[in-house]
Amino acid sequence: MSRKRAYRSKMRILADMMRAIQREGDEGAGPTKILYAANLSHDRLTQYIDELVEKELIIEEEPVSNNRTYFLTEKGRDFLREFIRIERFSEAFGIDI
Amino acid sequence: MQAELGIVRLDLLFETISGIIALMITYYATKAYRLTGQKRLSDLSTGFLVLSAGMFGRVVGTLYFITQYGEAGSNLIISIVTIAYGMSRIMAYILFVISTRPTKTHFEQEFQNNTGVSMLLMATYLVDTSLEVIAILVLVVVVLQAVLNYMSTRSKFARYVLVGFFLLLLSHILMAGAETSPGLYLLSQGTQLLGFSSMLVMLIQAGRD
Repeated sequence: MSRKRAYRSKMRILADMMRAIQREGDEGAGPTKILYAANLSHDRLTQYIDELVEKELIIEEEPVSNNRTYFLTEKGRDFLREFIRIERFSEAFGIDI
Repeated sequence: MQAELGIVRLDLLFETISGIIALMITYYATKAYRLTGQKRLSDLSTGFLVLSAGMFGRVVGTLYFITQYGEAGSNLIISIVTIAYGMSRIMAYILFVISTRPTKTHFEQEFQNNTGVSMLLMATYLVDTSLEVIAILVLVVVVLQAVLNYMSTRSKFARYVLVGFFLLLLSHILMAGAETSPGLYLLSQGTQLLGFSSMLVMLIQAGRD
C-alpha cells in the first residue's frame, strides 16, 4: 500500500531541497535539479533558496553567473540529520510532518 | 507480607523505568513539534507527559504513604493515588488516539469521522466506572491505529510502536484479571515495561545516523 502525503510542511520542502543538494555531493546542485527533486514552482524555489542561504544551511557559488550551484553547509548537514531522525520518529507514530 | 512488599517494590521499579522512557519520548516529541510545528506531535508529547506524570505520581504516592502510614492506614490514600493514576492514563491514551489517528488521505473512507471516535470514547468514559476497562477500550483504538500505520508504512519504527502499544494493552488486560490472580499484577507491570522498552528501541534506532 503506497503512502500518499496530504501536504508538505514548509520544513519538509526545505528538507527535500537540501536532500536534492546532498545527493549531488561535491558537484553541488543547480536550481533546475533542486526544482525537479523538490517538486516546486520557480517562484517558490527562489523564495526557499533565499531562505536557506539566509539561514546558512546552503551556500551559493557563482551567484552572478547562469551556472549557480548550491552546496550544503555543515549547519545544513546537521539540520538534515536531525530532520531525518524526527521524520522517522513521527512516521513511527503515523504522524506526517 | 514480606513477599507482597517485595512485589510492590519491584512493581515501583518497573513503573519508574517506564516513566523515564515515557519522559524521553515526551522530550523527543516536543523537539519534533518545535522543529515542524505539527500539532499532533504536541498532542503526542502531552500524552506521554501525562502518562509519565501519572507513573511518577503513583510511585512517589505509594512510597510516601506506605512509609508514612504503614500498610493499614494507607488503603484510602492508595485508592486515591490509584484512581488518579488510572485517570491520567486514560487521558494520555485519549491523546494518543487523537495524535496517531490516520490522516484522511490514507484511509479517507474508513475514518471519515475521527471526532466521532473521540466522542464515543468520552461517552464510554462518562458511563463506565471501571478505569481498567476504559483504558483497554481506548488502547484498542490506539493499537488499531498503530496497525493501520504499520500496514501503510511497513517501517521497523512503526513496528516497534505497534509492539509497544500492543504490550501496553496486554498489560491492562492482565491487570484487569489481577484481582482473581495476584501473580498477574507483576506480570502486567513487566509487560508494560516491555512495551515501553520497545518504544525505547524505536527511539534509539530512529536517532541513529
